[in-house]
Amino acid sequence: MPAFKIPFNGYSVKFSPFYENRLAVATAQNFGILGNGRVHVLSLPPSPGAPIVETAAYDTSDAVYDIAWSESHDSILVAAIADGSVKVYDTNLPPASNPLRSLQEHTREVHAVDYNPSRRDSFLTASWDDSIKLWTVDRPISVRTFKEHAYCVYAAAWNPRHADVFASASGDCTVRVWDVREPGSTMIIPAHDFEVLYTDWNKYDDCILATASVDKSIRVWDIRSFRVPITVLNGHNYAIRKVKFSPHRGSLMVSCSYDMTVCLWDYMVEDALVGRYDHHTEFTVGVDMSVLVEGLLASTGWDELVYVWQHGTDPRAP
Amino acid sequence: MPTQSADDDVKQDPVEETAQRDPGDAQTAGTENNYSNSSPSVFVSSEPMREEQVQNAVKFLSHPKVQGSPVIYRRSFLEKKGLTKEEIDEAFRRVSDSPPSAQTSTVTQEEGQLRSPANIPQQYPTQALQPAAAIPSGFMASVGPANRYGFRWYHALLAIGFLAGTGAGTLIFFKKAVIPRLRSWVRAVVLAEENGVSRETHLRPSLAEETAAAAKAAAAAAADIAKASEELLNSKLQEKKFLGEIMNLLNVQLCEIKSVGVAVKNLQGQANSYAPNPLSNCDFSASSTISKQPYSNGKRDWEYSSVGRSSIPQASLEPSAAPHPKSYMEIMAMVQRGERPPNVKDIDDSPPYPNQPISNPRINPRVKPWEVGQNQRSSNQVFPYQLNSGVQNNGSVSKSQGNKSGPWSQPANNLRITDLENEGEIKSGSQRTSSHEQSIKRSWVPPQPPHVAMPEAAEAIRRPKPTIPGERLPHEQKLSGPSDVTNNESAMTTKTDEANETANDNGVNTELNPSRMQEEGKSS
Repeated sequence: MPAFKIPFNGYSVKFSPFYENRLAVATAQNFGILGNGRVHVLSLPPSPGAPIVETAAYDTSDAVYDIAWSESHDSILVAAIADGSVKVYDTNLPPASNPLRSLQEHTREVHAVDYNPSRRDSFLTASWDDSIKLWTVDRPISVRTFKEHAYCVYAAAWNPRHADVFASASGDCTVRVWDVREPGSTMIIPAHDFEVLYTDWNKYDDCILATASVDKSIRVWDIRSFRVPITVLNGHNYAIRKVKFSPHRGSLMVSCSYDMTVCLWDYMVEDALVGRYDHHTEFTVGVDMSVLVEGLLASTGWDELVYVWQHGTDPRAP
Repeated sequence: MPTQSADDDVKQDPVEETAQRDPGDAQTAGTENNYSNSSPSVFVSSEPMREEQVQNAVKFLSHPKVQGSPVIYRRSFLEKKGLTKEEIDEAFRRVSDSPPSAQTSTVTQEEGQLRSPANIPQQYPTQALQPAAAIPSGFMASVGPANRYGFRWYHALLAIGFLAGTGAGTLIFFKKAVIPRLRSWVRAVVLAEENGVSRETHLRPSLAEETAAAAKAAAAAAADIAKASEELLNSKLQEKKFLGEIMNLLNVQLCEIKSVGVAVKNLQGQANSYAPNPLSNCDFSASSTISKQPYSNGKRDWEYSSVGRSSIPQASLEPSAAPHPKSYMEIMAMVQRGERPPNVKDIDDSPPYPNQPISNPRINPRVKPWEVGQNQRSSNQVFPYQLNSGVQNNGSVSKSQGNKSGPWSQPANNLRITDLENEGEIKSGSQRTSSHEQSIKRSWVPPQPPHVAMPEAAEAIRRPKPTIPGERLPHEQKLSGPSDVTNNESAMTTKTDEANETANDNGVNTELNPSRMQEEGKSS
């Protein structure tokens, strides 16, 4: 299907866990440096060749860096805003009634938001104020704050099998594993020599996680022996912004990078790079794999385009 | 500081989990330690303290330069080196226990102030330190290793500098005094020879030539030494420059903070919606020198967190800076000058009805593919990696691997399978294998991939890497190990129960929590 043109620079894209044909896009004006932001809710067409349609859009005064769908409510999404607020939207409500909530606790930009896929009632926000906060949608204040990183926290990811465990990636070059029941982090993994921009858990092996870094490599770690990574995946030419494990195949990962490509990796295979898409003409900053449709990928970047395609096909095919 | 407020509902877990341990887990040989009572055990680093690391850390922390830095950066440095929390705490304890004999009173005072926060875990300095945080952290990181062996480095550098100086001196002496004399002597000898002198003049020129050659070689060697010493001096100078720059940056940061403070005071006088902008202008206007630097390819592995958006990840690329779009640079320049980009609008994005209740969800949550229990065993095409047991599974594994492009190029089939599983889970919690036979009407099917113009290219794109099925399994087993198998089995048996819970769920979250915690206890 054809690409969707967004007015601002794309930052993140997420498929809905309830509807196969729905996805949300977080965008920011002026590359997210200084400007407004917008959350788009898009609907994928039923027939090939038909365009992607926007079903809702919410304007924000500051850039939207990340977006997450609720796992409990089919119409609710949470946006991470650059002014430090976390906004909750409901697509069932008219635009005039949105946002539903604006939670202002972080003192700096909120860079990532992740919804708990097992417990379904809570979500995490990672911020440049070095902290991670745990929230539930029904509470006006955060449930907990996790402050240990020495620098910006770029991502937080829930473990798909252990509802209380999550990992965080930070600019202090470490990845920390936390348990919400413990007062502090339970593991500190010195993952890279440079900033770690993203981390994600393997959906089929709860002890494996992948980290993406400014050093152009993705490292896959087994937390049971975290001194040495299982594997180091090289292939990107610039910093890697996101890496996500496939919800359908245990060792498959997708990554997006400032080298404008989206790559697919299978870390169990000797030649790990199994796919490469260079459809973007600017930094690719957001990528997602659909949980409901196997092989469906979406990506967005600073070239103001959102692509949705099936793995193995050409994203630019109309 | 972490606020541990009102998370009682989450804290119920440990008690319930230990009470509900599944005895079936005990049978999974060799992995019991990994999946024992409390699920976080595998997520906690359980190594014993490494004495060598602790001693290195103690040496690091005892260094006077290190003690001048905030505690959080010392901790961060040690964490980056791979020390666990216990090792870091032990090192801090040891350094505070041993009497600081080599330190001045001011240093001990500072240390005492900083030590008390360090002794209490998880308490870190607040954002007051963060504006100046980034630069010292990078500085500490880069100079850290050097500081450990500080004395030796300094001694070595001094010695090399001294040698370089003497070498340079001798070289200059050679150049200025000795060689011209040699040359003139050689020339005189040669001239004398030309005037028709006999063998002894032959000898002398050769001697003279040899000595000249030797002198030249010595001079060349001395020149090399001088070059090397020059380079060392240059690097020293560079480092000094570095330090100077850092000091400058710190000063600029201070000025910036002051200006921000002033701006905030100004803002309090203003009462209009343009409030955020003067603040950000002040942020950026004072940072012109800092923000320009991220785009150079110099040694830059830190960010300037108080400089607003210029501290985005791409600003700190040590390996190589990705080329930014031209308009990005323009906007950065504009923002640094304090201008607001023209296309930015004032938007009020506050919630119109902040107390609006959250509506109930319309549909039930869908089961995740990795949560699907025994369906995985039978749905071979979709989950080839899960299958480590069972004859039918091996057969279908090879089949799906032989046709690697199968799952990807036939989305409709997979969709049906996936959806059948999901629908089956939701509708009939207890039924498992029969869900395949149901044909469900999908609400949305992604469009078929377009007709392929070049089948060879499409095949090349699709085929990840041709590997023999036989090869694949050993790789899997080697990497994932027996724990993966047992994990799957235990996860499968228990996740079906969890799926049952999900199926019975009516979408009310609070009800789900206690039962889900029980399931988590079983599955771990």
